[in-house]
Amino acid sequence: MTKPLENASTPTKRETPRWRRRLFRSPLAIAGFTFIGIFVLVAAFAPFISPYSPVEQNLRGTYVPPMRIELRGPQGQLGLWVREVTRTPLGQIEVGQELYPIRFFVRGEPWVWWGGLLKSDLHLFGVDGPVKFYLLGADEQGRDILSRLAHGAWISLSIGLIAVFIGLLIGVPVGLFSGYYGGTFDLIAQRIVEVMLSFPGILLAIVLVATLGTGLTNVMIAVGIAAIPVYARLVRGSVLALRDREFVEASRALGNRDSRIMLRHILPNALSPIIVQSSLQMAVAILFAAGLGFLGLGARPPEPEWGLMLARGREYLATAPHVATFPGLAIMFVALGFNLLGDALRDALDPRALR
Amino acid sequence: MTTYIARRLLTVIPTLLGVLLTVFLMVRLAPGDPAQLLAGEFATPETLADIRQRFGLDQPLHVQLGLYAVNVFRGDLGQSVRTRKPVTYELRQYFPNTLRLTLGAMLVALLIGIPAGIIAAIRPGTIFDLLAMLGALIGISMPVFWFGLMAILIFSVQLGWFPVAGTGSLRHLVLPAITLGIGTAAILARMTRSAMLEVLSQDYIRTARAKGVAGRVVIFKHALRNALIPVVTITGLQFGGLLEGAVITETVFAWPGIGQLLVGSILARDYPVVQGAVLLIAVAFILINLVVDLLYGAIDPRIRYD
Repeated sequence: MTKPLENASTPTKRETPRWRRRLFRSPLAIAGFTFIGIFVLVAAFAPFISPYSPVEQNLRGTYVPPMRIELRGPQGQLGLWVREVTRTPLGQIEVGQELYPIRFFVRGEPWVWWGGLLKSDLHLFGVDGPVKFYLLGADEQGRDILSRLAHGAWISLSIGLIAVFIGLLIGVPVGLFSGYYGGTFDLIAQRIVEVMLSFPGILLAIVLVATLGTGLTNVMIAVGIAAIPVYARLVRGSVLALRDREFVEASRALGNRDSRIMLRHILPNALSPIIVQSSLQMAVAILFAAGLGFLGLGARPPEPEWGLMLARGREYLATAPHVATFPGLAIMFVALGFNLLGDALRDALDPRALR
Repeated sequence: MTTYIARRLLTVIPTLLGVLLTVFLMVRLAPGDPAQLLAGEFATPETLADIRQRFGLDQPLHVQLGLYAVNVFRGDLGQSVRTRKPVTYELRQYFPNTLRLTLGAMLVALLIGIPAGIIAAIRPGTIFDLLAMLGALIGISMPVFWFGLMAILIFSVQLGWFPVAGTGSLRHLVLPAITLGIGTAAILARMTRSAMLEVLSQDYIRTARAKGVAGRVVIFKHALRNALIPVVTITGLQFGGLLEGAVITETVFAWPGIGQLLVGSILARDYPVVQGAVLLIAVAFILINLVVDLLYGAIDPRIRYD
């Protein structure tokens, strides 16, 4: 996959590369960017978006379903209002009479984010009054599902980024050396890659977690290692196709060192598939991490990890379906976002797609 | 052809050995005393001593590996910590269920995926194409376990059409098979569409149309038969993918298959069973891929092996 040659008449103004124009014209790409954008923003400002702490329990609010928002206040004035919803000791849902207004940009529980860089007590919204507002309902311990989802976004984003990073960091050099030098290194590396790929999909991550133990850090490592063979295979294939091309020969004839040839000439030309794969791999990593969480092999309670939340919700599927519904929707939209973007990137970067 | 088969069979051997080594190392690299892991938390000193002796745990690592390999080839995978039964017995109990689930899922995937791909390809750019491809993308992005839960919620809890969990009748199989098959259906739909589009742009299709062959005959006789070659390969490879998906699907539906056995054993730290289940899935996956590879030549006469 080579870059198109520069025009003979060099334009004075730098034009937007064609692939970028193609990318932003595609409605699927825009949908993908939107989902990913929302996801990243929610993750970055999770405590601001959450009205409550993700671990704060409320035993009077267990399994409260998503609350109904009234548009008319007590005197009929327009606005957003909620009533108090609680669960009685007998398990009945009780809806109060009094209406409380929802306010935006309210002061509430103080929070610290970004490892202490961001401190505030400002929240996007909150209810004015001695009641709790569960926009998406509450879970089995009366924890606000929205707040947990927002904090879970941060967990999913970190797992995805770190896993893809591990995959890139090890997989790309292995593929590069394997394809460029061939020989014994290639032979051994490919055998190892084959063994890793013999554990289909999430199974490799499960094997690693079974060995390393559960917990978020190990999930990141496991999902990251599972990404290594994918990149190694992909990069090796691209390098094999590029290795004997004329521009590589030329660089070699000029006396350039192998490392320079690999980094300056081969890798840049093999970037497109790596970029596409990284977007798809983010989706895979997030789905794997959630899968491990669901199986009880990933994050540990009370961590607001999406897969784990879903697993807890499963036990109360018949009585409180909202507990399992929202984390699943979150996982799906984020994975869909990265898959849409990956597809759109492939279409935009693939020179054969020029029609 | 014979030399190709022989060569292909030979390449499987290092992979199988690598899988064996990985499974062997799982217990040795896990934190804790391997003997304790293999014998279980509440093992008596006698059992521990027996395990140490049987697996040669007081000897150097390569000797242990040799012993382990010999045992595996003899069909001795050790004993379950939980049930005290041989691991091979456990695997025999659970594996047929996984096989039934995967076959059912593959049927679902083929019945949904290939027609969807064909429809999308013969009407590219239309609403059918868009819906089929968006559906496929959602199918790929949807977490299996969530789809399963939603299926239980709607079809079992609310409509009462199917049992919530368990195994026994064909009705038990419907929801798990759909849950597991939907992701593969999505992959097959995408694959069929692009293969069909590729074939439909070929000269011989235009020739067929030009000489007045009916549209349906062109699609099904000329195009589809050629487009299905890569689809068959993907179908074969996806069988392995289904084994992976089965691990999660079985947990959702309490389906007593190898995946549920694996997850349960990890959580109970029943390492001999974990090793056995992982080994079985990986070996099954390798063998399926081998068969697909060999069948490929039979399906596509253009491929030669010399």
